[in-house]
Amino acid sequence: MKFTIYQESRAGSRPNNQDRVAYSYTREALLMVVADGMGGHLYGEIAAQIAVQYIIEAFQRNAQPLLRDELMFLSRSLSNAHNAILDYAFDKGLPEAPRTTIVACVVQNSVAFWAHAGDSRLYLVRRGRAIAQTRDHSRLQLMLDQGLITEEEAARHPARNRIFSCLGGSHSPQIEFSSPMPLFANDLIVMCSDGVWGNLPNDEIAHQMGEADILKVSPRLLDEAQHTGGETCDNLSMLSMRWHEDYADGLPASISTATMPVDSVTTQMEGFARGRAPDAANLSDNEIEQAIQEINQAIKKYSRFDPGR
Amino acid sequence: MPSQANSPLPSGFQLEQYRIEQQLSLGGFSIVYLAMDADGTPVAIKEYLPNSLALRKEGEIEPQITEEHQAAFRYGMKCFFEEGRALAKLMHPNVVRVLNFFRANNTVYMVMQFERGRTLQDFIQRNRGEVKERLIRGVFTRLLNGLREVHAHKLLHLDIKPSNIYLRNDGTPVLLDFGAARQTLAADTPMLKPMYTPGFAPPEQFNDREHLGPWSDIYSTGAAMYACLAGHAPQRSDERIKKDTIEWATKRFAGQYSAHLLETIDWCLQLNPLDRPQSVYALQKALLTRARVAAPEPPARLIDIVGNRLRALIGKS
Repeated sequence: MKFTIYQESRAGSRPNNQDRVAYSYTREALLMVVADGMGGHLYGEIAAQIAVQYIIEAFQRNAQPLLRDELMFLSRSLSNAHNAILDYAFDKGLPEAPRTTIVACVVQNSVAFWAHAGDSRLYLVRRGRAIAQTRDHSRLQLMLDQGLITEEEAARHPARNRIFSCLGGSHSPQIEFSSPMPLFANDLIVMCSDGVWGNLPNDEIAHQMGEADILKVSPRLLDEAQHTGGETCDNLSMLSMRWHEDYADGLPASISTATMPVDSVTTQMEGFARGRAPDAANLSDNEIEQAIQEINQAIKKYSRFDPGR
Repeated sequence: MPSQANSPLPSGFQLEQYRIEQQLSLGGFSIVYLAMDADGTPVAIKEYLPNSLALRKEGEIEPQITEEHQAAFRYGMKCFFEEGRALAKLMHPNVVRVLNFFRANNTVYMVMQFERGRTLQDFIQRNRGEVKERLIRGVFTRLLNGLREVHAHKLLHLDIKPSNIYLRNDGTPVLLDFGAARQTLAADTPMLKPMYTPGFAPPEQFNDREHLGPWSDIYSTGAAMYACLAGHAPQRSDERIKKDTIEWATKRFAGQYSAHLLETIDWCLQLNPLDRPQSVYALQKALLTRARVAAPEPPARLIDIVGNRLRALIGKS
């Protein structure tokens, strides 16, 4: 797999950041998650943290290096994350379980699958156009769908933050799954919390990110959204991933998983502090030993099929 | 600035369980040795030793890598691992086999099956202008079986040329040297330039590397077939882009080989990737198609050659 990825989470004008974003990958599979803990509820930040951490850990256990069934994985890990939040609330004797939105996306074998609950979004952008996106689980989206209000009215509607599905809380989440979406070279997946999409004009993300360098454009879009959000700006989180052909040439800053040891997982999580992607040139002695060991295992494994032996 | 050549390990040197016999070839990225394993079976050992980053002086065993080159050296090693990893999974009679992989002398080694025979390059040199159509079709059809296997593993060879095609003594071809395969080094590590051989590399390999694909290996295959006829590579594709003066096989060798073969070769050598056969299978099918017109008898051929010369004198017919 080869891809370029960018993620950032900002508190905006709020005292604390209740958003969490993270990605994790093995040699063959990639998982990306965005969660937006709900501020009006107790411990929103904790709900987001539990959800993201739980899903990432499930990925690390199950992707070896491929997930056996992508949709099953998303279904299980999201509902289990929901239960993990409920367990936490029970342990702490909270009067009400905290809540968080969730959007999680798995890519393996060049096919993307995603699932979401709430109004954190995922866009699949191809050649500057969003060819697929999640539908918010909000009353407003329902009203829009039924033609009761227009897009402009929706943008200013007082209840635009009310959602009917999330992880945690008192109701079971209604998780919505995508159909399998094959990725082509240069396809882009953008996931973000409402602090980002709510403060940007429609189509702005697809438009700006189209063919551009996501490492440059992503922070710029965040700046723009934060500027629009002004003094009451919500938390902003964004995760963007550009997919590359396996044999595309070493694009600077892209991640090639081809050289990863088969049993290793790399995970980056944000929300607390900013991190940096690991340095590609850094190959430790240990990694060298692992690579050699793995090649020899492959040689042994495949030479069983050698008709000449 | 020409980089200093690395000196090879001395003959007789005991490298783990292998004894070095002699150096087989020296590339910018590695040295290949002939060696004997503990059972006395000959093997080919490829030593990762990029010229620009590591220096082994005469009489020394461990190469010296300066502190500033350490990161690039390790990065290149990653690519060497990719080659090993790629080859380890390829189990095909027309692709070289990897037998072992180990670390020693501050660098890494890949042990491959040693095949007796000679390179197609060698064969072309010895039979200049006499390479038969039957042989070309036979060798390349089999070779493409190997290349299909390579592409099926989401790999590109990217350095197909007569000197990387080995003909065993029984005439079957083996695809060698995957050193350029997936060499994803270019952009950020100027010390490790991607490798290619001018004349055999498609235009997209020079500047447009994002557009590399199976069709890139197909261009090189076409150029290798062309070299069988001409004794040398066609005009370099980077020059062709500026001013295309390639002598098309259909013109230059008309009458000496079937028109069908010549058309197939020219088809591979199109500058626009989309105008070439798009998959190895498509090319293989063309090569397996019986020549529609058999090669004419020698007298006719002579006339044709004269005719060609005349046409060349008069201008493009």
